[in-house]
Amino acid sequence: MQQRVKSAIDIAAAAGSGAPARVGFGRRMVAVLGAATANRGAKVGLVLVGILIVVAVFAPWIAPYGSDQMGAGMGLMPPSADYWFGTDEFGRDVFSRVVYGARLTIQVGVIAVGISLTVGTLMGLIAGYAGGWVERILMRLVDVVFSFTETLIALAAVAVLGPSLTNAMIAVGIAAIPFYARVAYSVTLVERNKAYFDAAYVAGAGHLRLIFIHLLPNILPPLIVVATLGVSSAVLAAAGLSFLGLGAQPPSPEWGAMLSAGRDYFTQASWIMIYPGLAIMVTVLAFNLLGDGIREALDPRQKAK
Amino acid sequence: MARFLIQRLLAAILTIFVTTVAVSMLIHLVPGDPVQIMYAQSQGTTPEQLEAVRERLGLNDPLYQQYLSYVGRLLQGDLGVTIRGEQPVLELLLLRLPNTLILASSALLIASAIGLSFGFLAAYKRGTWLDTTLMTTAILGVSMPHFWLGLILLFYFAVHLGWFPVAGSGFPNLVLPAVTLGLTNAAIIARLTRSSMIDIFDQDFVRTAHAKGLPKAMVLYRHALRAGLVPIVTMMGLQFTYMMGGAIVVENVFGWNGVGRMAIQAIFQRDYPLIQGFILMFAIVVVLVSILMDVIYAFLDPRIRH
Repeated sequence: MQQRVKSAIDIAAAAGSGAPARVGFGRRMVAVLGAATANRGAKVGLVLVGILIVVAVFAPWIAPYGSDQMGAGMGLMPPSADYWFGTDEFGRDVFSRVVYGARLTIQVGVIAVGISLTVGTLMGLIAGYAGGWVERILMRLVDVVFSFTETLIALAAVAVLGPSLTNAMIAVGIAAIPFYARVAYSVTLVERNKAYFDAAYVAGAGHLRLIFIHLLPNILPPLIVVATLGVSSAVLAAAGLSFLGLGAQPPSPEWGAMLSAGRDYFTQASWIMIYPGLAIMVTVLAFNLLGDGIREALDPRQKAK
Repeated sequence: MARFLIQRLLAAILTIFVTTVAVSMLIHLVPGDPVQIMYAQSQGTTPEQLEAVRERLGLNDPLYQQYLSYVGRLLQGDLGVTIRGEQPVLELLLLRLPNTLILASSALLIASAIGLSFGFLAAYKRGTWLDTTLMTTAILGVSMPHFWLGLILLFYFAVHLGWFPVAGSGFPNLVLPAVTLGLTNAAIIARLTRSSMIDIFDQDFVRTAHAKGLPKAMVLYRHALRAGLVPIVTMMGLQFTYMMGGAIVVENVFGWNGVGRMAIQAIFQRDYPLIQGFILMFAIVVVLVSILMDVIYAFLDPRIRH
């Protein structure tokens, strides 16, 4: 975990460097992605993420059947030309369900990472800006929570909130807050030493103006790069919770929940379990590849010689 | 060194303190009436009985008093009783904890053996086909959900081939869950080892050792590996914590009788005293492991030893 924070901080620092003043957010993102896609793995990752988004957006047009349409075929039919991934015990088309599941996965990624990014950024930003006892208390708290691993924090949050997909997203989001808080904190420390910050301070800008108008727009781009990479662990964690029965509930076509329901039929119909698992893996792989590409593009030391 | 260790010990005490506060207040964060939720699954509980439970758990007292009495009971080794069956929580946890620790340590052993050697090899052969193959395998491993890998191993090796029993808690039952947890984490260790070894291979003292004509093996083992060991040992402690977290999921796939499986059941049953006990116990294990790692680290790193 410490390693993950370190490498995330490196990425954030590299993504934010070379900008003495404010540079357009879009331009910086394009520059980072452009550099990253020189890497073969990152290209594959980017294409896979693109496919996932297209599948999620156009799910009703891509899926031949509804996600809950029982008796689309007979029960437990093996993969065929009509049912690409076979059918489950209720005769639902597994391919259609996996396609609709992509929507839930994107939701999980965006909402969970959104929560951790928003709260984490605010905490790190305030700690880095305020300094003194505010900084010490906030960052100490972050360190303490951090030592518990995200799995435990997510479990505790689900235990409090009760099992459901929404609560699983919130739980996974809460679990990653310390991670983003640390990255935001270290980026803030760098930014507040730059000339534009001193200039704004000397010109008499107030606390809120310094934090939200000057610091925030500058720490956000590198943090968003880091957040993109965080999607893979959020998706994996949420799928795990759903698999345990603590997230999405049947008949939801959430991939983790499908896997869990399919385990009873594994010996007769392995495809019910194989394809949702494969979908999770490919999604996580896509974001990991993209992350590695960005890391390599920004950190020449790790490049293959 | 003493100063470093005292600092770390203070940090550990702080962690335990924050955990006790969080755990004792956990029940108040539950949306709605926690006592009603806890007993929603038992039929025919009267309002008087619920009130009695509220009184027993001290939920009517002021918060600071609740915390103090919680810590007071904690110091006497009393973690309360479960909602279902009213069994002492501490006893239940201690009964299952060894199983989880055995699973996590076996997995760590497998993960380190594979991860360290793959990572070291990839770093040494950087840029060759071997590096590419190893790192492609590793990124696939990192992306694989361990519950999925577990199910596949379970159904192939236990159900289909019948090499291992499907459920239970003997040694043959340990193999598949330990391999599942070990393999996915081996991938993480391999990636970390590769990047930290690459950093070291690029450093001046390694280049100097090569330049003065030392045999390759000597440079690798005496110079590079020794320096690389320090961050790797620190990493191992964190990996053990991950394994404990991963064990929660893997235990549920294989029906391994550890604390993780019990915790998930407790969450389903909304058995808050058991959940609270589990979180506290997990935190204590994490803190103990990190203290142990700090001691090892302090001995390994001469900058701290002196």
